[in-house]
Amino acid sequence: MIESFVTHTLNGLYYGFILFMIAAGLTIIFGVLGILNLAHGELYALGAFLVFSVVGFATGLVASPTGTVSAIVFGIVVLAASLAAAAILLPVGAVVESVFVRPIYERDEVYQLLLTYALLLIFIDVMKFGWGQTPVDPGVYGTLNRIPTTELVGFGYPSYNVIVMLVGLAVFGWLVWFFDRSKTGRIVRATAINRDMATAIGVSTDRTFTLVFAMGAFFAGFGGAMVSIGPGTAFLEMGLDPLVLSFVIIVIGGLGSLKGAFVGALIVGVISRWAIWLYPPVELAAPFAVMLIILLFKPEGLYGTWGEIE
Amino acid sequence: MLEARNLRKEFGELRATDDVSLAFGETPGEMVFIVGPNGAGKTTLVNLLTGLFEPDRGSVVVHTEENGTTVEEDITGMAPEDRVEAGLVRSFQIVHVFEEMTVRENVRTAALSRYDKTLSMRTLDDGHAEVEGDVDDLLARFRLEDIADEVAETLPHGDRKLLDVAMAFALDPRYLLLDEPTSGVATREKEYVIETIVEASDAEEVTTVTIEHDMDLVKNYADRLVVLHEGRVFREGDPDLLENDPELRQVLLGVDE
Amino acid sequence: MSRIPFVEERNGESIVRVPLTRGLGLTPVQAVLVLVGIVLLFGLPFFSGLVGLSWERLFRGILFGIAAVGLNLLLRHTELVSFGHAAFFGSGAYGVAVLAAHYDVSEGLLLLLGAVLIGTLVAIIIGYFVAGYVDIYFALLTLAFNQVMFATVFRSGFFNYNDGLQVRIGGDRPSLFGLEWTTLGYNLVLYYTTIVLLLVMLLGMWKLINSPFGRALDAIGQDRTRARFIGIPVERYVWISFTISGLYGAFAGGVYALLRLHVQPEPTLYVFVSGEILFMAILGGFTTLVGPLIGGIVLVYLLEAARFWVTYYHALTGLVLLAIVFFMPKGIVGSLPSIGAALAHRRHDPGLVREDIRGIAAAMRRAVDRAITTVRIIVFGVN
Repeated sequence: MIESFVTHTLNGLYYGFILFMIAAGLTIIFGVLGILNLAHGELYALGAFLVFSVVGFATGLVASPTGTVSAIVFGIVVLAASLAAAAILLPVGAVVESVFVRPIYERDEVYQLLLTYALLLIFIDVMKFGWGQTPVDPGVYGTLNRIPTTELVGFGYPSYNVIVMLVGLAVFGWLVWFFDRSKTGRIVRATAINRDMATAIGVSTDRTFTLVFAMGAFFAGFGGAMVSIGPGTAFLEMGLDPLVLSFVIIVIGGLGSLKGAFVGALIVGVISRWAIWLYPPVELAAPFAVMLIILLFKPEGLYGTWGEIE
Repeated sequence: MLEARNLRKEFGELRATDDVSLAFGETPGEMVFIVGPNGAGKTTLVNLLTGLFEPDRGSVVVHTEENGTTVEEDITGMAPEDRVEAGLVRSFQIVHVFEEMTVRENVRTAALSRYDKTLSMRTLDDGHAEVEGDVDDLLARFRLEDIADEVAETLPHGDRKLLDVAMAFALDPRYLLLDEPTSGVATREKEYVIETIVEASDAEEVTTVTIEHDMDLVKNYADRLVVLHEGRVFREGDPDLLENDPELRQVLLGVDE
Repeated sequence: MSRIPFVEERNGESIVRVPLTRGLGLTPVQAVLVLVGIVLLFGLPFFSGLVGLSWERLFRGILFGIAAVGLNLLLRHTELVSFGHAAFFGSGAYGVAVLAAHYDVSEGLLLLLGAVLIGTLVAIIIGYFVAGYVDIYFALLTLAFNQVMFATVFRSGFFNYNDGLQVRIGGDRPSLFGLEWTTLGYNLVLYYTTIVLLLVMLLGMWKLINSPFGRALDAIGQDRTRARFIGIPVERYVWISFTISGLYGAFAGGVYALLRLHVQPEPTLYVFVSGEILFMAILGGFTTLVGPLIGGIVLVYLLEAARFWVTYYHALTGLVLLAIVFFMPKGIVGSLPSIGAALAHRRHDPGLVREDIRGIAAAMRRAVDRAITTVRIIVFGVN
């Protein structure tokens, strides 16, 4: 009983960290640019596809690991390749923002939704063009699990999941540092709070918005990469469910709040895994039920800050 | 008669309205002006009376003559739309009009509400004669006929201000609360705006409560005067009380004599 | 009454108007368009094959279009973006399926009536909760209600999970008007019943938006505070319009179930169906009454049929929507007048076409410039 409680909670946290990487981008894009990016799930999917190609190439360069040390080296290679794959999304995100999104900031929100939905459809076909209809899998999951971490937890738990959680934690830590401490991060926050003021003190809002969109794309892609190197595969429709769950997360946490996205993602991850364990029929509905309760009773969310990043 | 009884409203530490008791319209159709420095709680008082906010303490009461006896109705907690039904109507300091409608449509929408027709499915052009009559009257009274078919968001500020007030009149008010109807209006037009309001309210015997900063206008048009200061009633009475009261001068102008 | 038929005196001018109901009339151009539209709708089962279009697919497009017409009441008038209208479409569809599969109701019209009642009830319940919210919160709340319903149906044995329910009673399709029909006969009778009801519903919506109630909804959309202070009970009216809007969706979903005879959660209840219904309204032109209907037909056709024409049909749809955002923000129907005027101009002065091409080329060049600049900044770190 206790063991399955711990396992399911850990599974939930693992799932939550993946969701956080997607929702983080969605929430900062909403917070700063004021755009609800429906194509965000496709950036995540694109990351998953890219990692198939990049990791496939990188692991082709190293021999299959034989012992603990070589397994760790292999893990580092995979992680580096995943970062490289996600890095491709930086220019992708930047170009999408500067070409398509930038002209519509002043437009009615229905057009912003329509535009990002159009981008969603186009992205699906770009991936279909690049990788075909059938799911792809870089096939490194088994090897990654040879890294011995299970002793740390005290019972059998996949090393890969532990790695992803650590990576997710690092991403959260870095984002908090970026927005709290770094100069660029503070400029972004200032722009989010008051665009005119930021322009008046010589900040280029165009540049800031492009940066934020590219960052969001990067983390979504990195989340996709983490799934793809795991037991999951990359497939064309994979962006849809995480997108919708990310809405749930950023509403629970408070639109535009980074901490909120983090807490919200973990809540949603754990709740859905507990549901699978205790009463599977409510697994899909549970996150939305939480979102409804939050919206009806605390519409600003747990850390609600309307357009400010905290 | 519209009565405020011991109204109090706090925003955090700030007591915006502090134990305010006032009565408007003991003489039906009187023209009351509310004056006071910025932050005196003038707009908060209007918001409490019209139901935009609920008071923390105190009540808002309407006295109505029915068959020779006075009926008292406590309207504290009543929704703004129901207060309109009770004859309590307001305009806004920052103009609130329906931006995408024409001037005529704006006034007509208010007039339809006055005749309880907003749930009607009968086509607009189909025999709402009493409404159209009212609309024409009001457009004429506020001299908006020439711009009747212009869209509200394209109008200059003064006209928008007049439209805002005209919409309030279209609701057939018994008590009309006007929050700075002349703010942002060019000085030479202020008189014209107030004049129009006075004419319209005299014609219908509407009790008017107006927040105003221009002391010349207040002296010329007020039947009665209420001075608010730091959320409290500081002075109340004839417009004459503005004369020879150094303390009042200091409150209103912020200068020592 | 004027002596010449269809000619009214207004402000001293004579205007030609074709009266439809009391106080509402069409201009001659509108009247002709409406007639053409009605003829097209009634002839559709016979014409469509000739030009290589699938009539059944057009029928499905019309159904989603009806849902979009309902959604547009909120979008255009109260200015609320609903991202959960599949909730009503799905309720209608599942209403029919549940009544047929579990309660053996065999008459199609009864099923449809039941579907409309169930879907409207769902709209009343959801509307009660969402009527006080605006902007993104309204959109996300409607989405959440929609997804809770989807997730519940998807995981519930009563609704037979992902496989969905058959609209068959002991293996037979429902009767219509008490009669059993062949497949073709059934579809035709269903189609014509729907078209007649559709015309009634369009007329009803037209009357609504031109009534004082419609004007009150406009007022709520444009300035909620003021609407409240001219005595309009805002939440109650939003609730009513939300319910009417849901009724249209429920009707469409009910007919959809009767047409498909099989109801699954994903094509009827999933949140992306909600998105599609919203985008149909914008695509067709949400500033018009019939725009959403046209948008429904076009988008369903693009999403369903384009896959047989091109491999990359998603991208095709995406490009069409991009074109709407950047070049035709008023949608297909909403842009017709300006397109007509522009064409007439260009017939007079063909030189304008060259300017158009130059304008489009310049816009694209600017977009490419932005892209190049951005990439350069990322790669080299400088502008």
